[in-house]
Amino acid sequence: MDDQESHNITLTINGSAHRLDIDSNWTLNDVLRNRLDLTGTKRACDYGGCGSCTVLMDGVDVYSCSILAVEASGKEILTIEGLGTKENLHPLQKSFALSYAAQCGWCTPGMIMSAKALLDRNPKPTEAEVRAALSGVLCRCTGYTSIVNAVLEAASVMRGEP
Amino acid sequence: MSEELLTVGKSVAPVYGIEKATGELRFAADINLPNMLWMKIVRSPHAHARIVEVNGAATRQIPGVVAILTHDDVPKVLFGPYQEELYPLDQEVRFVGDSVAAVAAEDWNSAEAAARAIEVKYELLPPVFDAEAAVRPQSPLAVAYMPEGVLARPGGGRPATAIDASSNVLRGDADRPTVLNARGDVATGFLQSDCVVERVFRQSHVGAVSHEPRACVAVYEDGQCTLWCSVQDPYRLQESVAQVLGLPLACVRVVSTNLGGAFGVKVTGRFAVLTALMARQTGRPVKVWFTREEESLDSHNRSALTHYVKVGAKKNGTLTAFEVRTFLDNGFWIGLGENIAQHICTRPMDLYHRCPNVKWEVFVVRTNHPTTGPYRGRADAESHFAIESVLDELAGAIQMDPIEFRLKNRLHEGDDLCSAPGKIMSTVWVEEAARSGAKAIGWERRSPRPCATPGPRKNGIGMALVIHSCGSNPAGTSEAEVVVDREGRLSFFSGTPDQGSEQQTTLRQMVAEILAVGLDDVHGDNADTATCPFDSGPFSSRTVYATGIAASRAAQAAKKQLLEQAALLLQRETSAVALDNGSVSVRAEPWRKMAWGEIAAAAGGSIRGKGIHNAKDDNLFAYGFAAAFAEVEIDVETGEVKILRLVSSHDVGRAINPMILDGQILGGAAQGLGYAMTEGFCFDARTGTALNQWFLDLRTPSILDVPNIEPVVVELGEPTHPFGAKGCSEISYVGVAPAIANAIFNAAGIRLTELPMTPDRVLKALQEAKGIAA
Repeated sequence: MDDQESHNITLTINGSAHRLDIDSNWTLNDVLRNRLDLTGTKRACDYGGCGSCTVLMDGVDVYSCSILAVEASGKEILTIEGLGTKENLHPLQKSFALSYAAQCGWCTPGMIMSAKALLDRNPKPTEAEVRAALSGVLCRCTGYTSIVNAVLEAASVMRGEP
Repeated sequence: MSEELLTVGKSVAPVYGIEKATGELRFAADINLPNMLWMKIVRSPHAHARIVEVNGAATRQIPGVVAILTHDDVPKVLFGPYQEELYPLDQEVRFVGDSVAAVAAEDWNSAEAAARAIEVKYELLPPVFDAEAAVRPQSPLAVAYMPEGVLARPGGGRPATAIDASSNVLRGDADRPTVLNARGDVATGFLQSDCVVERVFRQSHVGAVSHEPRACVAVYEDGQCTLWCSVQDPYRLQESVAQVLGLPLACVRVVSTNLGGAFGVKVTGRFAVLTALMARQTGRPVKVWFTREEESLDSHNRSALTHYVKVGAKKNGTLTAFEVRTFLDNGFWIGLGENIAQHICTRPMDLYHRCPNVKWEVFVVRTNHPTTGPYRGRADAESHFAIESVLDELAGAIQMDPIEFRLKNRLHEGDDLCSAPGKIMSTVWVEEAARSGAKAIGWERRSPRPCATPGPRKNGIGMALVIHSCGSNPAGTSEAEVVVDREGRLSFFSGTPDQGSEQQTTLRQMVAEILAVGLDDVHGDNADTATCPFDSGPFSSRTVYATGIAASRAAQAAKKQLLEQAALLLQRETSAVALDNGSVSVRAEPWRKMAWGEIAAAAGGSIRGKGIHNAKDDNLFAYGFAAAFAEVEIDVETGEVKILRLVSSHDVGRAINPMILDGQILGGAAQGLGYAMTEGFCFDARTGTALNQWFLDLRTPSILDVPNIEPVVVELGEPTHPFGAKGCSEISYVGVAPAIANAIFNAAGIRLTELPMTPDRVLKALQEAKGIAA
């Protein structure tokens, strides 16, 4: 293996600070999954081709496979584990879970995190805006209709509409 | 089916929905064990070579490297039910990406570095890429060193036989196809016809592109091996690991974790067997997780095919003869090639049962392309593009409506089946599916003549009929168990994994219905060989149908025992008691009741109902039927095809969960859209390297590419299933490509004969049409 410089970094993940010694070539995805056992964030390609590894970094949806852990140092990272829990689901998690917008479930965390970034900046998106915002995350199972509907449904719940 | 039920027929929320949406669901790749090693498979850069030497000296110097396995270190054991899997590692490599060696290291990065550092000396062998040329006797062999004892896994219930390694044609040669479906006499049939259409169709290899790359974690301890693995057939993997490690079946436990997409191709492979061998070698837990490139190459993709098709019909729409010669580029894997070929040449000929003369030959050809296998719509996606396109053309030639032409020649209830010899066809609701779909798309708007729209953008409507397995597969077996324990807790055990179709939801709905409780009252486990009874796995859309029958029988058996035991305890006739929300009560005196837990305790501790389904026992055979409709707009200047609408209409028997059913229909159709328009592997013609192994150029449809697909569901029942259901998770894939091709013809008068139908192919067809016109 090429000699990698070691770095001591601090990552703020889902509100908790983690001090870690990592090599330069570790990605944020490696750290989340293999060091912190936060396996809700997936990997399907490792080069920014599918979006299943999407997390929020300072509120922006990014591909965790394409961010080096050292780049994420000092940033606020939000993963699917920090969004909601079984007992206290985020509206997006609830709408995806109940409406079969999560079929195999592999793209689901990335899809939900990308949708969260959208709804944070645009609480009332149109269908076309949802499609544009989620176009960086691929799904192989659903044909996307149920995903679009789940995001629109969650947006409406978050706006407090009946 | 109007009978109102408690749970069946309701869109109840999926069992795994919340775990998926919170990221809590653990897939195989999410399992990390203490002291675990990472394994990486060293892969061949050559399409065909013999390994002269594997030098691991440099690799052993890398910090963290623990073990290396080469073909010298693994048992030379053929595995799989028909010994059709070649050795776990072999001295010959047969495609770019084939396994050469395996390394284990302390972490992922070290394992990757270790794999890169392995030095392999190869003796190059002539590669075979062109399936048609490979049929000839003078062709080099794709497998130059075939191990002794390899058997072919046949179709149609025929016995497995030894491979003849002297030809690339599986169980055949240049003059003898692997499989032949013949009835009547085609020469006579063509003489009787008024119109004949002849075409050549080509379709490239296409990947399932499951988003979860395959993963396996193996532990070997005290002569026991446990694997958590993303495979669809845990019991077959159990057998394979036992065969290779020389263990009794009872010492191998396989847990098929939930699969992040599988679509038929996550069948037992060498990677999981290698992981088990590495765990034994190192005495530590070992994990392997494919990269996207590995998932593309070592994945049992759909084979590439060439079909030479000739079909004749009379002016009145009677089909007189089908003659087809198919070359199937199977890769080197013996696997299911013959089985798939058997269905390619028989199922469409069952759909058009009224045609008396058929000759369909399939040559299953070994090549040095990546291995192929049973991807969604298996066998029918392989055949329908060609057949449904030719029928569209014939309908045009005899000036008959394409729907009426097809329906005139279709299969009927009670017909015998060439795809399932000795069986009789059960329900056929194909006409109802076709007419409902036609209504939904507005078929009456379709111009009977092509090029009816003025200007450079032309609109057209097309359709295709589809037949596909709905689970009535004689090769499969499902067992199920329903247990009520002395606390009254109800558990359902099935060996079938969940690959995203949420079968645990639909199966538990059936169990809940029979035992008259809510879905939340059904617990249990699935796809763990240690706790669950045998199941062949979710292939051929068989779970709702075959496993559903087994589950229903198990629930009925448990119900019978509960009622009989309770009747004894309550001193009543069995007919006088009934299930009552987790109890059994006396019908006439509903306050006299016993809780299930009391009944189970009195019965000795538990009530156990077992059910089994094996279609071998049944005379009646069920198929799924569908009609696909597409409306397109084609720009004759750019070759761009815009999909305006897709209607996917299905004979489903009965919907167990309408929401899940719609999800399967839409998802299958979206994948079919990718197959039709953008997907397909491109191989370097000289080296056999796949040029598009990565997401960005695999071109699976994005959220911007898929229109809102319209599902249509015909629920007229299926008497061979306790709830009248047919499996329906693949069939929507099959008809999309031919429906779009036929819509393109209707729009612009050009016949696309190659998949995918990319703009350059559309433009080329337009130029050829212009040339002919000029």
